[in-house]
Amino acid sequence: MHHRNEHETYNYVSGMSRRDSLKWLGLLAAGSAVGLTAGCTKALEIGAASSTEGHWPDLDIKPITAKGYGQDPNLVIPPQSPWPLTLTADEITLVALLSDYIVPREGTIPSASELHVPAVINEWVSAPYEGQQRDRIKILNSLAWINDESKLRFKKPFTALSEQQHRAILDDIAYFNEQTPAQFQRIGKAFLRFKELVLAAFFCTPEGCKDIGYLGNVPIAGDYPGPSDEAKAHLDQVLVDLGLSEYAYTD
Amino acid sequence: MSEFKHKVLVVGSGAGGAMAAYTLTKLGHKVLLLEAGRHYDPKTESPMFRRNSEAPLMGAGNKDKNFGFYDATVDGGWQVPDEPYTSAKGSDFYWWRARMLGGRTNHWGRYSLRFSEHDFKGKSRDGHGADWPFEYADLAPWYDKTEELVGVCGTNTGHEDMPDSSPGILQPPPKPRVPELLIAASAKKLGIQAVPMHRAVLTRPKDDRLACFYATPCGSGCSIGAAFQTTTSLLPMAKATGNLKVITDAMVKSVAVNDQGKVTGVTYVDKKTVTEHALEADVVILAASACESARILLNSKHKTHPKGLANSSGQVGRNLMDSTGAWLGAQIPALKGRPRYNEDGHTANHLFIPWWGHQAQANNELDFPRGYHFEIGGGFRQPGSGVSGDKQGYGPALKQQIRDAYGSYVGFALRGEMLPNKDTYMEIDENVKDKWGIPVSKFHFKWSDRELKQIEHGLKTAKQILENMGAEVGELPPAEKAISKGGEIIHEVGTTRMGSSKKDSVTNQWGQTWDCNNLFVMDAGVFASNPHKNCTLTIMTLAMRNSTWLAQQIDNGVL
Repeated sequence: MHHRNEHETYNYVSGMSRRDSLKWLGLLAAGSAVGLTAGCTKALEIGAASSTEGHWPDLDIKPITAKGYGQDPNLVIPPQSPWPLTLTADEITLVALLSDYIVPREGTIPSASELHVPAVINEWVSAPYEGQQRDRIKILNSLAWINDESKLRFKKPFTALSEQQHRAILDDIAYFNEQTPAQFQRIGKAFLRFKELVLAAFFCTPEGCKDIGYLGNVPIAGDYPGPSDEAKAHLDQVLVDLGLSEYAYTD
Repeated sequence: MSEFKHKVLVVGSGAGGAMAAYTLTKLGHKVLLLEAGRHYDPKTESPMFRRNSEAPLMGAGNKDKNFGFYDATVDGGWQVPDEPYTSAKGSDFYWWRARMLGGRTNHWGRYSLRFSEHDFKGKSRDGHGADWPFEYADLAPWYDKTEELVGVCGTNTGHEDMPDSSPGILQPPPKPRVPELLIAASAKKLGIQAVPMHRAVLTRPKDDRLACFYATPCGSGCSIGAAFQTTTSLLPMAKATGNLKVITDAMVKSVAVNDQGKVTGVTYVDKKTVTEHALEADVVILAASACESARILLNSKHKTHPKGLANSSGQVGRNLMDSTGAWLGAQIPALKGRPRYNEDGHTANHLFIPWWGHQAQANNELDFPRGYHFEIGGGFRQPGSGVSGDKQGYGPALKQQIRDAYGSYVGFALRGEMLPNKDTYMEIDENVKDKWGIPVSKFHFKWSDRELKQIEHGLKTAKQILENMGAEVGELPPAEKAISKGGEIIHEVGTTRMGSSKKDSVTNQWGQTWDCNNLFVMDAGVFASNPHKNCTLTIMTLAMRNSTWLAQQIDNGVL
């Protein structure tokens, strides 16, 4: 948890219910000067009339020049802040809000922001490596697009919108597939990458591992026990269904 | 130690070098071992029980840590800081190196399959490549000794591609898991058998190493010594004899020769002070890795060895081979949402599919000469930086898609035999030097049609096995696209091959160079062919056998 607990600013979400944290984030955003890296992005400058037309912020994103953690980092005590973080407070707020729509609290299972997923996204988009730099371009543009779209549709930045308004936009961009309308394809694809990172950052935590049902990473005394009775019974049924029972493995 | 006077100097502390040092020191000979990387201790440096959430970037790989943050490799990977290599135009070659005590044994897959008589006599059978200068029967007792010492789990399967070990040698293998059991059934429908993998992982305690506790990927290093690496076994055991001295951060530049053409020692660069040092030795063993040892030989030109040391045959650097590699995977719908249990096991294959086509090849039914095996991928692995599933929408419904898809993907990693070809070799790039002033390796690499046909066969077979399990596989990629890049499987061998004639080989069957009787090679450079079964067990077995022979030569006063 090194790189999560480090950043006290993200802890504001901890311990709050999702609704509370969303309300809080909304207030935070409404009370601050809303603007992204490029301030006013191209789409708004050229006065795109409505969200039915495609638009893309095309932010001028400078490459990260920081150093990586190198080829001999300490693996037992991993580097805590391997490179400077680059998201603005507004961007982090937007990331937190979006993350909690992607992974909301479910009963006792914490939401993405409660598990400091925004800090992971910040570390990811700030990293000096090739793959992360490609994601940085996608994600920063996605964040800017979402605000542009919010302003086009509702005259306000995303964080200042109602839940209904949030969902109206998310419903258009979060189902990227063959049916996605042309104007949402580019954002749909970029937002999919953002979703993947949020999901990964959630599921790789101890809480996320529990949620997905990962039961490993614990020492076993004696021989490896193999599949549980329930897993064996399930496999037997799968073999029956696939017509493979007569070929079942024997020692 | 102040009066330490070594008889033998070993270059490299990986599989070959550490086994040579262990064998010689146990037989009472003093060994000085040089390692180009830093000291490394898995007991304190292995990241045990770590979660990906604790690592930068959720543990994902990048140019600093190619196989992920927790991979044990130190100062290495596809690139080593300040130590470049070059490729000829049109050649794509990847050269994995590690700069650490124990070398690549700290992160290897631990798959430990014996080569067979079939493998050692390929040329006699089909006319391709080269035969090895001994029979399987000559090596069998040494495989037993090596497996016993290293600790290999598995069973005697009786499979035609897997020679038996002597009774009592192998440790019991772990029970197979659901994806492996399903694949085994699906393959059997095609008449193809899946069997327990042999792995250098202890399932019973040995010496001061503990048995596996079935957690933490072996590639991260193993602090309890269950997964074999020389840094928790051969090196400390050799040290304990009092006959071993190790110098780390010592990058060997060249082997020194006198006017009679006999080896007198080595020159190395101390990386910490960037100063050159000369060391004398009666016998030198190169075990720096196939391409690094060949590089040292080619960089050791002398008037008595104008083409490079031990290169009167012109074969140093030639006959470079890697394994072929390809991957085919798919989601198995019937595995979606399957019951959870701890599926870590020993963190790699419990079952695999050995090469089943000997008979078909003997009958000329296949259009490629050499075999391959499938390693099996899939399972409930620790979540990391990637997620699988449909990924539609957001919120609880999206999360459910990811939970359903978890553990429902399986795949086949093909590993096959490559034959040597005239377009594939390494040489010295006279225009480029590394930070230590040593001219670097330059690679030429090309797959031949023989490998491409093999990949095509493998992809088709894997597709059938997947479809038998209800997977939708779609159109297969062409073999030229699916095949790995040269070097990518990290099984590079053959650059100082052994043989029965000094005309077409660099060493005799003992790894002793034909040109200098006090110079030996004990890494995969000596391989006469590259069977698909992973190199490390055979590197260690040859190093044990050949340094035992070397010890006899010393004892008899020959060396």
